Amino acid sequence: MSELHNYLLVGAVLFALGAIGFVTRRNLIMMTLSAELMLQGVSLNLVAFSYLHGNHQGQAFAVFIVAVAACEAGVALALFVALYQRRKTLDIRAWRELGEEGLVSGTGGEEPPIAPVLPAALESPRLTPAGRVPDISKRRADNRV
Amino acid sequence: MTATLLAQADWFGGHALAVLPVLLGFLAVWWLLPRAKVWPRPVGVLLGLAALAGGGVTLFQPGAAVTQDLLFGFFALVAIGSAVLMITNRNPLYSALWFVVVTLCVCGLFLLRSAPFLAAASAIVYAGAIIVTFLFLIMLAQQAVGVAAYDQRASQPLAATLLGFLVLGGLLCALRPERTAVFAAGPALAQASADADTGGQGRTLLSYPPALGPSPLSQRGNQPLGTVRGLGRSLFGDYLYAVELAGTLLLVASIGAIAIALRTPRRKS
Amino acid sequence: MSEAARQIALWLIPGAPAAACVLIALTGVRWLRERSHYPCILALCVSLGSSLGVLLLGIPDIAGLGPDGSHPQVSAAGYEWIRVGGLDVSIRLTADAMGAIMVTMVTLVSLLVAIYSVGYMRGDPGYARFFAEFSLFVFSMSMLVLASNFLVLFVFWEGVGLCSYLLIGFWYRRPSAAAAARKAFLVNRIGDFGFLLGVFLIWGTFGTLDYQGVLGREGVLQQIAQQHPGRLEWICGLLFLGAVGKSAQFPLHVWLPDAMEGPSPVSALIHAATMVTAGVYMVARCTPLFVQAPFVQLIVAGIGGFTALLAALIALTQYDLKRVLAYSTVSQLGYMFLALGCAAGGKEVVTLAVTAAIFHLFTHAFFKALLFLSAGSVMHSMGDVIDMRRFSGLRGVLPVTHLTFLCGALALAGFPLTSGFWSKDEILAAVAAASHGTSLYAKSFLVLQFTAVVTALLTAFYTFRAYFVTFWGEARFPAEAGQHPHESPPVMSVPLVILALFALAVGAAIGPSGLFGPYLAQTRGLTGGEEHVVAWMPMLLGTAAAVIGIAAAWLAYVGSPGLSGRLARVSTTAYNWSLNKFYWDEIFAALVVRPLQGVAWLCRVLDDYLVDFLVNAAGRIPWMVGSLLRPVQNGQVQTYALVMMIGLAALLLAVLNAWAGG
Repeated sequence: MSELHNYLLVGAVLFALGAIGFVTRRNLIMMTLSAELMLQGVSLNLVAFSYLHGNHQGQAFAVFIVAVAACEAGVALALFVALYQRRKTLDIRAWRELGEEGLVSGTGGEEPPIAPVLPAALESPRLTPAGRVPDISKRRADNRV
Repeated sequence: MTATLLAQADWFGGHALAVLPVLLGFLAVWWLLPRAKVWPRPVGVLLGLAALAGGGVTLFQPGAAVTQDLLFGFFALVAIGSAVLMITNRNPLYSALWFVVVTLCVCGLFLLRSAPFLAAASAIVYAGAIIVTFLFLIMLAQQAVGVAAYDQRASQPLAATLLGFLVLGGLLCALRPERTAVFAAGPALAQASADADTGGQGRTLLSYPPALGPSPLSQRGNQPLGTVRGLGRSLFGDYLYAVELAGTLLLVASIGAIAIALRTPRRKS
Repeated sequence: MSEAARQIALWLIPGAPAAACVLIALTGVRWLRERSHYPCILALCVSLGSSLGVLLLGIPDIAGLGPDGSHPQVSAAGYEWIRVGGLDVSIRLTADAMGAIMVTMVTLVSLLVAIYSVGYMRGDPGYARFFAEFSLFVFSMSMLVLASNFLVLFVFWEGVGLCSYLLIGFWYRRPSAAAAARKAFLVNRIGDFGFLLGVFLIWGTFGTLDYQGVLGREGVLQQIAQQHPGRLEWICGLLFLGAVGKSAQFPLHVWLPDAMEGPSPVSALIHAATMVTAGVYMVARCTPLFVQAPFVQLIVAGIGGFTALLAALIALTQYDLKRVLAYSTVSQLGYMFLALGCAAGGKEVVTLAVTAAIFHLFTHAFFKALLFLSAGSVMHSMGDVIDMRRFSGLRGVLPVTHLTFLCGALALAGFPLTSGFWSKDEILAAVAAASHGTSLYAKSFLVLQFTAVVTALLTAFYTFRAYFVTFWGEARFPAEAGQHPHESPPVMSVPLVILALFALAVGAAIGPSGLFGPYLAQTRGLTGGEEHVVAWMPMLLGTAAAVIGIAAAWLAYVGSPGLSGRLARVSTTAYNWSLNKFYWDEIFAALVVRPLQGVAWLCRVLDDYLVDFLVNAAGRIPWMVGSLLRPVQNGQVQTYALVMMIGLAALLLAVLNAWAGG
């Protein structure tokens, strides 16, 4: 019983996190992944109950969930391909034709993407071209010339 | 009115402390969500860890076997942590990979609950097929070098996180041990309630209700839980129609996916 | 004439023009076109024939017969219109002696004007419309005369007003014509309001609207005069207000001169012979009522006399020929009301007074129509120019018109032995009798007698001023007249000649010969007293006035041409006052029109800013409520998902609350 409670808890947390991710992230892929996360939470819930009752009903239901999730992911990704070909972006905000006129003015007015801050170690070192003697005096500590 | 509700209602049933980890979790997720001005990540990570610890302390109910509890704790914590990292990551590629981690942990939890087939199936389907397809799509739809603007900003983070944790809090209240105890009363009680529902009549295959209780077919031979055979009997015995429909659904979905993906946008002449 | 024949004849009088109107209205524009006059003239011939039948055969046949033999009348039942509670109104035609005379005059003049119009309106694009409206007018006028109760009278009172509006504004694209039509209608409306109030009072007092019930019972009238003192005065006063509007008396005379915007035949028919005489007819018809209110009769006479003098003074300086004739119409109508009002002079004067008025109405119809049609003929040849300052010496170019105009002018001036002479003489005799009468108001009638004589002098003067300026002097034509002004075609000249004969002869034929008076005396209310006196003094005064007036006009405009200019410069103020109609239009504009425009502006402001504001505000409320909810529908999937989460959270909390509470 307590174990049931624990598993249900984890399922609830996964579900809630999936919901937050779905509503928050703007990338179509991120949204779909969050939806799949919600499904994972639900499957966990079902399996926990199945264990409690000692029959396979929950597991059978979870199998169906897996099947439907697979269909859904397939169709969704096909849709994303088609949508990407039209707007050249995976932003969900690009598709707002069914909204009321004049409410939010497009995706414009946004700041440009922040340049990714890669750790210094990942930055490619600048190498001198072959055949030239490197200038040691100007070499810096982080190997950037 | 709110005061009297809180005074009268016994929502937490003595588990008032559970508010704290929920609050910490809310703060953690909200902190970590991507926004235009980057906030220091370690703070969010710390908050998240504190939330998990608090949750484990106040909400975790130890079971009979310690090993089971340890394994459960490991899988659960990694799953939840990976989920948070998944939804708060700027790079969709990393999110997909974190999702794989979540899936594998959930598979571990399935194994703990005697569902090996389901664990294997979900690992294969989710982590294998779905994620690979996602990765293909990410590769095809890569536009900007690096991370796109829409990945770096979350929409309505505060409202979403607040609501999400409100829902979570509500679920926690609903899932109190006293509440879930009624389910744990065992198959006998479940059977009795099911009998009460259907009036004690005999059940046919088609009319098998979603009420609780063992099914006649799986009772035959009484396959133990956790065997593929048992699951197979249940699936193809009790839920044959559903299985066939699921197969048809898969066929239709694959045809539809091909049709949609191959459609090129019409050029406007 | 058999009873059935009488009734058929009576129904034909209004029925034929009505049928013609419908026929022309439906088929005139497309099919009849320039033949549209045929139904109208045919119908008018039928009407004239029927009227003559009723006049000469119908009434005499039943005179002296039956219990009401002294007031013979031909009746034809029509249609039971209203029967509600105590109100019983039926559309019945009744022609007694006065009605028969009136309707004969109406149809005869209408026929002649219609024949004239065939030539005058030739080529006008609204030819069919003209004759349709013309027929409609004759129908309304004859129904008005033949009505047997006050309500039907009022309906066709408005009907002739409508036709007047349509015909004055015949050339509706001209702004001045449209404005004149509106003015005529609105000013008439003021009078009609008083008339309607009078009808209401009649209904309230007598309980019936029938002529028989109101005018026919002498005893009832006496009783009411005793029981409700002042009631009958009010009734008569209000009815007279209607007559003031319809017959263009002061102060509601302002519409008649402007009504000259219409075609000349219209002016001849409506504003000389028929419509404006409806007021006189109505007051004469209500003589039994009016004799119970001598004070109102005095007011009638006073207003009539004042109007006559006022209009004559204005006509002295007008240079538009038709306007001169219009003011002379107003003046002559004033004469008729003066005569009607003389009945206040005592019981014995009543018959004389009313007979004089109706006789003058009868002869005036002919010579005034003649004058207007001649003016139309002048306009026709001068290219629609009617400004007397722009042409002169037309007697060489328009011989027939010249002679007919001269006949009409002589009749109007009251030259001895013309019909106008006899009728004006009757009126002067009536006024003299009233001033010698036994009533309280005898002294007032002396003043009115003096006024009447002065007006006769002025009438002769301005009439012949117009005549001499137009037809004498050197031949001078305006540019619009073209190369060679010519006489009107026969279709226009022949009616002129016929009317000229009437203008000269009819007065003599029926006045002093004793045909008119006794015949008319068969009307209810007129029995008793003499119909016709030969009073020498008024006759001499009238003759003298006419001759002096004509001579003065000749002197001023032909004998020594500079005299008129010098007279005008003697007093420029008086000249300007006369020329500008004593500024009465301006007074009306300031006293009545401006305040009403202010009220209308106020109403419009209230409507725009208060009512519309409230209505629009009520309409904005759903919009505002919607604008609160609209941001939810922004087309963003994530917004929708968020709203779903809100719903989920709310549901969860509600369930938890239910669990916790219960």
